[in-house]
Amino acid sequence: MAQKSLAMRRKRRDFWMGLAFAFPFIAGFLFLTVIPFFQSLYFSFTEYDIFTEAKWVGLDNYTRIFQDENFYKALSNTFFMAFIAVPVSITVSLLIALLLNMKVKGIAFYRTVYYLPTVIPGVASSLLWLWILNPEMGILNTALRAVGLPDPAWLSDPAFTKPSLIIMGLFGTGGGALIYLAALQGIPREFYEAASIDGANAWHKFKCIVLPALSPVTLFQLIMGLIGAFQIFTEAFILSQDNLGGPDQSMLFYAVYLYNEAFVNLNMGYASALAWVLFVIVMLITLVIFKSSLRWVYYGGE
Amino acid sequence: MKRLLALMTTVCLVAVAGLSGCSPSEGTGGGKRTEIDFWYTWMGDGSTSMKKLIDEFNRSQDEVYVNGLAQGDLRKQMTAIVGGNPPDLASLPDEINLASWADKGAMMPLDAYIKKDGYDMEDYLPAARDAVTYEGKTYGLPLGMNTWMLYYNKDLLKKAGFDRPPETIQELKKYEAKLSEEKNGRITRLGLWPGQIPHVWMQSFEGRLWDPEAKKVTPLDPGFKSAVELTSSVWQKHGPEKIDRLLAGNGNYGSPQNPFATGKYAMTLDGEWLAPILGKNAPKLNYDVAPLPYDENHPEAKNAGYINVNLLYIPKKADEPEAAWKFMSWLAKKEQMVKFDKALGNLPPRKSAMDDPAFKDVPKFDRFLKYANSEKMEPLPSLPFMEKYMQEIHKQNDQINRGKVPVEKGLKDVETKIQPLVEKTMK
Repeated sequence: MAQKSLAMRRKRRDFWMGLAFAFPFIAGFLFLTVIPFFQSLYFSFTEYDIFTEAKWVGLDNYTRIFQDENFYKALSNTFFMAFIAVPVSITVSLLIALLLNMKVKGIAFYRTVYYLPTVIPGVASSLLWLWILNPEMGILNTALRAVGLPDPAWLSDPAFTKPSLIIMGLFGTGGGALIYLAALQGIPREFYEAASIDGANAWHKFKCIVLPALSPVTLFQLIMGLIGAFQIFTEAFILSQDNLGGPDQSMLFYAVYLYNEAFVNLNMGYASALAWVLFVIVMLITLVIFKSSLRWVYYGGE
Repeated sequence: MKRLLALMTTVCLVAVAGLSGCSPSEGTGGGKRTEIDFWYTWMGDGSTSMKKLIDEFNRSQDEVYVNGLAQGDLRKQMTAIVGGNPPDLASLPDEINLASWADKGAMMPLDAYIKKDGYDMEDYLPAARDAVTYEGKTYGLPLGMNTWMLYYNKDLLKKAGFDRPPETIQELKKYEAKLSEEKNGRITRLGLWPGQIPHVWMQSFEGRLWDPEAKKVTPLDPGFKSAVELTSSVWQKHGPEKIDRLLAGNGNYGSPQNPFATGKYAMTLDGEWLAPILGKNAPKLNYDVAPLPYDENHPEAKNAGYINVNLLYIPKKADEPEAAWKFMSWLAKKEQMVKFDKALGNLPPRKSAMDDPAFKDVPKFDRFLKYANSEKMEPLPSLPFMEKYMQEIHKQNDQINRGKVPVEKGLKDVETKIQPLVEKTMK
C-alpha cells in the first residue's frame, strides 16, 4: 500500500515538474498564439482603434472587405505571386537540384555556393537587389544593355515590380533545391537500372521515376511556398519604400495592406477581418491541393 | 529537484532585481527627484543633440531627472499608451497623427500648464501653433519646423537664358518646358521635379483641403485641383514610363549623386534639410532657393507656402505630467530649440529664434527663415483622419500621374471615400 502511494506521489511530482519545465512554452503558446488567435476573431466583428473600447459591429467589416478595391488589388497581386512565383521557384529549385546531383569534381563546393544566398536575411538581400536592379547603374541592366536587350525600369515600373520580386526570390531557391537534392539521393539506383534494361532514355527516366519519386517533396514545397507567398511582406515593404504598395499599387500585397490598415490607420477590427479572410482562403487552397494530391503524389510505402 | 526549483526562482529574482536596480534617482541636492521617461523619435545627429540637451537639463536642476530613449517606432509609443504604461513625454516626427491621437484621448491637452506658467505661445509662428491645435486645444509643443522651397540650378537657368527664378506658376511652366531635355527616348534632364505631395503646392493657388464651416473635405477645391494638375503635368508630358525610369535611376538622396546636385533636375521642390546636405556633398553646385511660385490669378498667394512641425507631447496616463511639462517647456525655449534645430537641420518655429546668429552658417537658412516667417504659411488641417486622407490622395495622385484616372474622377473618389470618416469621427 505504502509502496504504491509512494510510486504515485513520485509520478505526480514528475508530472508537475514536467509541467513546470514546459511552462515557458505553454505560456508563450497560450498568450502569444492561441489567445490572440481567438481575440482577432472577436475583433474582426468590432470596430477597434486600440485607444478606445472595441465596438461590436457584426458583419460590417466583412461586407466592407468585399467592396474594398484595395482588397481586390492586394488579393490579385498576392495571387500573382502565389500562382506564378511559386511554380517558377519550384521548377528552378528542381533544376538546380538535378544539376547538383551530378557526379562532377568539387560538387560539394557547388552545393555550398547555391545554398549560400538562403542564409542572407531578407532585409539585407532586398537592399542588395535594390542595387542590382537599379535601371541606370545596376549590374543586371548593364548586362542587358551590353547584349542589346531592352532594359526595363524594374522596381519602378508597375509592370515589372512583381517579376523583379520573382527574380529576387530565385536567389533564395537554394533551400528548396537542398530538399529536392536529399530526395533525389533517396531514389534507389535499381529503378534506373531496371528502366535502362527496358530501354528508357533520360527523359523517360526523369518523367517516370524522378518526378513521381519526388512528388511528396513537391507537395511539401508547393504548400510551404503558397503559404509563404500569401504572407509576402518584407521585400515589398522595403522595396516599395512606402506602405502603400509602390508604383500603381503593384506591390500592395495582402500582408502589406493588412499591416497598413492595422498599424497605420488603426483599423484593428478591419485588419482582423482581413486576416481571417486570408486564413480561409489559404485553408481552402491547401485543402484543394491536398485533395488533388491523392492523384499525383506517390508515396513509396504504398 | 526542489533545490533546482529554488535555484531557478533565485535566478529569476536576481534578474528582476538587476533590471530595476539601475535607476539614478538620487538628486544632487539630496531631495527627492522626480524621474521621467522620454521617448524621442530622432535618430543620428538629432539623437546625439537631444542626448546632450537632456544631460544639460539633468545637470541644471535637481527636481526632475530625465531618462531619454531614442525610440523611432511609433507603433511602440502607441502600444505603450494603450497598455496604460506610456512614457511621461514623447515626440512625434510630424503632426499628421496629432488630431487622430488627441481625438482618441491618447494625448494630454497642455492648455492648463501653458496658462499656469504663462508660457509664451505667442512667440510661436501661427502656422506652427495651428499644427499642434485640435478643436481649440493645444496638444503639443513644436520643436522643429519644415518648409519647402523651389531649389534652382543657377548655371542651368542661365544657360537657358533665365537670370532669376520663376515668380509665378505661369513662369515656372515656361522655365520647365525650356529646361527639360530628352535624348533617345530617355529623360536626360528634368526641368522641374514637382515632388510626390501635391498639397505642398496648394497654397500657390489658394487651395484648401478642408472646409471647417461645412465640415466637408474638399479634394475637389479648384486650388488643390490645380496643384494636382501642376504635378501631374510633368508626368503627362514625359510619360510615366520615362519618369519611372528616371526616378529609379536616381542616386541616393543624401549622397553626391542626388539628382539636383548632379544637374539631372534643373529645379526641384524640396525642404530646408536639403541645403546642408548639398553644402556637404556638392560644395561647388551653383544654386539658390526661392519661394514657391504663385498663380498669376491669385496674387495674394505670393510668398504663401506650407509648413509642418515635429512636436513633443505628454501621453494620457503619464505618471508625471507636471515634471514632463517642466522639461518640455524648457526644451522648447528659444536657446535649446536653436541648438537642437541646428543639429537636426530643421527650422525653429519661434519668431524670436528666426534671426538667431546660430543659423548664419547653415546654407540658405536665411532664405528659408524669411520665407517661413511669412504670414501666409499654413499647415495641413488638423483632422483625426488625416493619415487616411493623405493615403487616399497619394493613391489617386499616382493614378492621375499615370493617366489611368482623370483628375476630376480621382479627386471625387477621394471625397467619396473620406467624407464618411468626417461623420464617423467628428460629431
